[in-house]
Amino acid sequence: MEKSLDPRIQRLDIQREEPKTPDIKTHEYWSTYEVFVQSKRGKQHVHAGTVHAPDPQLALVFAKEQFGRRQHCVNMWVVATTEIFAFRYDDSDMFETVPEKLHREPGGYKVRDKIEAYRKKISQQKADKS
Amino acid sequence: MNKEAAKELMLKMADDALIYGHRLSEWTGIGPILEEDIAFSSISQDKVGHAWQLYQLLEQDFGMPDPDRLGFERKESEYKCSQLNELYTRDYAFALIRHFFMDHAEFIRYSLLRASSYESLAQLAKKVRGEIKYHVLHADTWVKKLGAATEESHSRMQAALNEAFPYALGLFEPGPFEQELIDSGVFIGEGQLQAEWLDEIRPIIEESGLQLTSNTEAITGGRSGNHSSDLAPLLEEMSEVICSEPGASW
Amino acid sequence: MYGGGYIPGQENEKPDQFQDDPVKLKEFEERIDRGEKIEPHDWMPRGYRKQLIRMIEQHAHSEIIGALPEGTWITRAPGFRRKMALIAKVQDEVGHGQLLYNAAETLGKSREEMMADLLSGKSKYSNVFNYPAKTWADVAVIGFLIDAAAIVNQVANSKGSYGPYCRALERICYEESFHLKQGHDAFVALATGTKKQRAMLQDAVNRWYRPIIHFFGPPDVASVHTEKLMRWKVKMMSNDAMRNQFLSSYVPKVRELGIDFPDPNLRKNADGTWSFSDPDWDEFKRVVRGDGPCNKERLAVRKWVETEHRWIREALFNPSAKYTLPLS
Repeated sequence: MEKSLDPRIQRLDIQREEPKTPDIKTHEYWSTYEVFVQSKRGKQHVHAGTVHAPDPQLALVFAKEQFGRRQHCVNMWVVATTEIFAFRYDDSDMFETVPEKLHREPGGYKVRDKIEAYRKKISQQKADKS
Repeated sequence: MNKEAAKELMLKMADDALIYGHRLSEWTGIGPILEEDIAFSSISQDKVGHAWQLYQLLEQDFGMPDPDRLGFERKESEYKCSQLNELYTRDYAFALIRHFFMDHAEFIRYSLLRASSYESLAQLAKKVRGEIKYHVLHADTWVKKLGAATEESHSRMQAALNEAFPYALGLFEPGPFEQELIDSGVFIGEGQLQAEWLDEIRPIIEESGLQLTSNTEAITGGRSGNHSSDLAPLLEEMSEVICSEPGASW
Repeated sequence: MYGGGYIPGQENEKPDQFQDDPVKLKEFEERIDRGEKIEPHDWMPRGYRKQLIRMIEQHAHSEIIGALPEGTWITRAPGFRRKMALIAKVQDEVGHGQLLYNAAETLGKSREEMMADLLSGKSKYSNVFNYPAKTWADVAVIGFLIDAAAIVNQVANSKGSYGPYCRALERICYEESFHLKQGHDAFVALATGTKKQRAMLQDAVNRWYRPIIHFFGPPDVASVHTEKLMRWKVKMMSNDAMRNQFLSSYVPKVRELGIDFPDPNLRKNADGTWSFSDPDWDEFKRVVRGDGPCNKERLAVRKWVETEHRWIREALFNPSAKYTLPLS
């Protein structure tokens, strides 16, 4: 191999002997943690991505730089990916709302007409009395 | 305030940060796992940044040359970094142990400097202390894990510790103005710093199952411009481009 | 940094070779037609999954291998600003690799398997990184022009159909804008600098011209396969369209500095496309096959990384840990 132009690489022993192809073992890069960042106090933690780490402590140390170096945050959580439970995407039709759910929408409650009618009635009664 | 004394203190801090940051950047792109590669690169940038800010203060407050000239273009004997930071990093165990020794010292030094009578330095210390807190967390997490994990990781970390410890003690080599710094309230002094440092690192080393060698003699010289043989090639490499065309802007 | 641009081998995949359930396939294609994203556990055609894994994985490899040519100058960057910017930029590339490997893992191939395929040569990365960064000016050229080319590619891909890839690319494109700025800044500093600096820059542009033309790959050949990938929003733009877009935006930015490309035939046609001299696609193929100036070194460095640091990964390996694919 030709001499590297990178002085950092020149100092490695690969210049003398070409390294063998290592056998990368299953799970050699440990397991994964899901990272949640809070951008400021008062806001919610939001999922930002994943890190590979051997334990929660290093997961936090890694997450801080991979997901905190470019955006301001005040706090971070990591959760082992295996500890997250989720719906299946092919069940997502469960989330579709039918229009008959007006009872829990603010727009489903129209009281103005009743109030107007009532006020009209009251003022009519007053007018009739006097 | 004794100007020469403050200048001496800041110059050695700046040189330490630059040379240490430079050594850290040698791992950028070739670290142990992508996540750690990123974390270590951040620490490297922070350190080079601290050096830059200190050189800027030296320029503003003491009329020294601009940071690029101070950082990149002095003679070897004019650098006041400790030999610990100059050493070529043999492996990642050494990188982590040096990081552990150095950043505990940095954290205490900057924490103490928040009360410095030299206002600009106190301001700077307040500003960068948070960054160094993360550096310490990073170092502690690794040292605790690898010191206690397997026989191999333990023996690698112990070997690195044995090699680095005498150099780490050299971090506290007194400068020529120790007493002036203490008297004027600029800095509490290297002796006090070393005592606090030992108190901090001992329990962590213990928890990691590692051992500090006893009766260790400090390897000194860096603060007076006497350096290990690893510094000259580092400086030559670092200044290769900037010195290739004097006066040019890059 | 680098949306791998064109990485060869894609045309060998035949998405139709698998028999997919026609009802599910129809639902899948309708979802894409509605502009909805596909998420990790959705049903997807096998050809779609295979093609995406290949594409995202090779993009990830391009990032971590792409960290090496610029890394060449990390310890020699001139002055504080350049030193910090270069460390930050190479760091981002590693960070992009991290995001992309995660995105690819959601499709079912582990990071370990991807790394093994990179080291064995089974899986490729962008060819442009098989060329050396000979001088500091190469850092400026890579940071400006190769990053710009990568952005064209990545912006196009970020509008694709696979959710995790789009999310990773969104963040990557945001960070790329800093790369491009600092690359342009370093480029302009040399172009407006001393005679020696200008000569250094022109020399670097001359050496990188052909790899840049190669970056987006050979002219597209219309095929059923390409049509399908476009339909599934895996491939978003043709090689030529991306190359034309890049040349239109960046050739003027280089020429305004009095720097030029070493090709008398490089010019814009009336229809907006570009003409250039034959860039020697045979050389391109030779380098892809492993016969470029830096192929050996790039892989040797990655092999060294994996071998040198294995003790750390083994020390903290937990045999009782549970595993699952990253969520998103």
